[in-house]
Amino acid sequence: MGKVIAISGKGGVGKTLISTLLVRWLTENNIKNILAIDADPDSNLAESLDTEYDKSIGDIREELSCKSLPPGVERKKYLEGKIFEITVETDKFDLLVMGRPEGPGCYCAVNHMLRSIIDSTTKAYEYTIVDTEAGLEHLSRRTTENVDVMLIVTDTSRKGFKTAARIKGLLQEMNIKANKIFLVLNRIKEEDKEIIKEEAKLTGLDVAMEIFEDPLVRKYDLEGIPLIKLPRDSETYKAIENAMESAEWM
Amino acid sequence: MEIDIKKLPVDIGVVYEGERIRGPDTFVELGGPKVEFKAELTQVVDEKDVVDGKITVIGKDIPQFTCGEKVPFGILLEVYGEKIEKDLEGVIERRVHDFLNYVQGFMHLNQRYDIWCRVSNEAKEKGLTFEDIGKALIWLFKEELPFIEKMQITFMTDEEKVKEHRETALGLYEKRDARIRGMKDEEVEEFYGCSLCQGFAPNHLCIISPQRISLCGSISWLDARAAAKVDPDGPNFAVPHGEVLDEKNGEYAGVNEAVKEYTTGANERIYMYSMFDYPHTSCGCFEAIAFYIPEVDGIGIVDRNFQEEAVNGLKFSSMATQSGGGEQMEGFLGMGIEWMHSPKFFSADGGWDRIVWMPSHLKNRMSDAIPKEIIDKIPSEDDTSSLNELKDFLKEKNHPITQRWKSVVTDELKEKVTEYIQEKNGEIYPDQASADLGLSEDELMNVIDVLQKDGTLG
Repeated sequence: MGKVIAISGKGGVGKTLISTLLVRWLTENNIKNILAIDADPDSNLAESLDTEYDKSIGDIREELSCKSLPPGVERKKYLEGKIFEITVETDKFDLLVMGRPEGPGCYCAVNHMLRSIIDSTTKAYEYTIVDTEAGLEHLSRRTTENVDVMLIVTDTSRKGFKTAARIKGLLQEMNIKANKIFLVLNRIKEEDKEIIKEEAKLTGLDVAMEIFEDPLVRKYDLEGIPLIKLPRDSETYKAIENAMESAEWM
Repeated sequence: MEIDIKKLPVDIGVVYEGERIRGPDTFVELGGPKVEFKAELTQVVDEKDVVDGKITVIGKDIPQFTCGEKVPFGILLEVYGEKIEKDLEGVIERRVHDFLNYVQGFMHLNQRYDIWCRVSNEAKEKGLTFEDIGKALIWLFKEELPFIEKMQITFMTDEEKVKEHRETALGLYEKRDARIRGMKDEEVEEFYGCSLCQGFAPNHLCIISPQRISLCGSISWLDARAAAKVDPDGPNFAVPHGEVLDEKNGEYAGVNEAVKEYTTGANERIYMYSMFDYPHTSCGCFEAIAFYIPEVDGIGIVDRNFQEEAVNGLKFSSMATQSGGGEQMEGFLGMGIEWMHSPKFFSADGGWDRIVWMPSHLKNRMSDAIPKEIIDKIPSEDDTSSLNELKDFLKEKNHPITQRWKSVVTDELKEKVTEYIQEKNGEIYPDQASADLGLSEDELMNVIDVLQKDGTLG
């Protein structure tokens, strides 16, 4: 059965970077069945993974809500096929984009179907990496459910830590099965290292990864180079590799 | 005939149901969005027309393709069983999806003219052929649906043949859909309940019948039945409708019981086909809302996508807030747009003859559901923007609702107006007269209309 790893945190802290490099790490470790889910409408995981997508689940939801299917066609099966159709298949991984949040229509029933389809879809993959949005909209609407590992990313700002603590609380409140919740520290400056560790302790979460500020990542971001192309020996990729190799939660 | 599924080159079993064959692992794609011609069809045939276990392949078989091909694909299942009726074709056909997915290294998506299958490289290496797949299918069908006595299967990959097959299938799907559309509430034993929206509207329970789709428009009776079969403890469950208490309004003993149980007693009775007395409750996420307009004694409908004010001066959103949440609100009813196709659409309240206003885009979308003789008599935002204009429009077009207005002209009222006119020696002024008589001008004009027609007034 597949393992679902979700990456959350305040906007702009580097969730997409972590998601991208996790996908990359998995592909480099001979995992064949990987699904990446872009659940953050404010970012672009597809671009960061050096691929493109045509349609999102949001588009399909809208299409479906204004479409009358022939009565003999089962809506859920139809939806399942549509989701398959919009799944981007690359040599090494698949990608599904959740897309924009809901319009004014009704989605109780459609969301319920989506939930169970996404749930069974993730079971078909060895690993699913979910890049979530800051507000945890999809989690609270339960379109992504049953997360095995939640990595909460924060930069060194006070706000980042605050959001991390809030997410932890929210997860517990929603009873979401995050068997393991970890903190990922991103963009650490050497001189702040000690203070940051103190801050991290206050959240009550274990730290899964420590990533230092990396001018190369900034350059890639600035020039729009897909982050998946970061060199193997870049500090950031090495940090992720190290963390993953010794990660007991995998 | 005997089939030994252990002798097939790949495994068969429910464990493979969720198996995903990714693009790079695919040997050949059969049908799918990139291929124009594809279709699967089940036909119930006479005993003499089926050779049990016969598997025919028209066109290339799996081993003959080259890796990465995407090809046309047709499947034809011909079945016979003493107890099998034509109506079961759809039910049997729906299982093709399940059973084909039990085949290791084979994936099936969608249905009808949308089918999309993949054969994995691994399965091809093992030597999988259509003959094997056919054997597995026949075996599984007979195991799970014992009423099937004989079955033969034809697989097609030859483009011309698939094209022809698809044409035939399209016609038959249409017939099947027409049959489903024609299904009547009276003909089934069970309706279905849907409690999906209870998170927002704890006192709301949707009752879905063949002639009444869910309010959100997403779950038909067939969808609910399929969902209840897969997950009987889920949000869709069977509601045996029991005794018919009121045929016209659509009140059923079993439905009342279910409503009572699932709303913890908040609601006790509902009418399925009316917005008065005991209307069905509304969740909050209905596609459209119907509202009673007392001034014309008619019903207006506004859907979620219409952002402006409806003819009664209220927006969809404010009516939705007022009437949603699971309370019974006479004169307001959330509804699924597809319901307009149903003969039970407000059947207790006069059906289409009672509908007096709709947004133009909704009229366009549903033009095939609206009776021809009335479609131009139902105004939209392009024709009317106030209740006064509405009344004039309906009168001018002679909308059937105007008959209702006339019918309320009682003898008593006629007498009263006649006396008044005599009193005034035939010289009356509408504003003064209506004030004296305690009627609206329109009402007064109506009465005069009737009096003129029946010859009391010259």
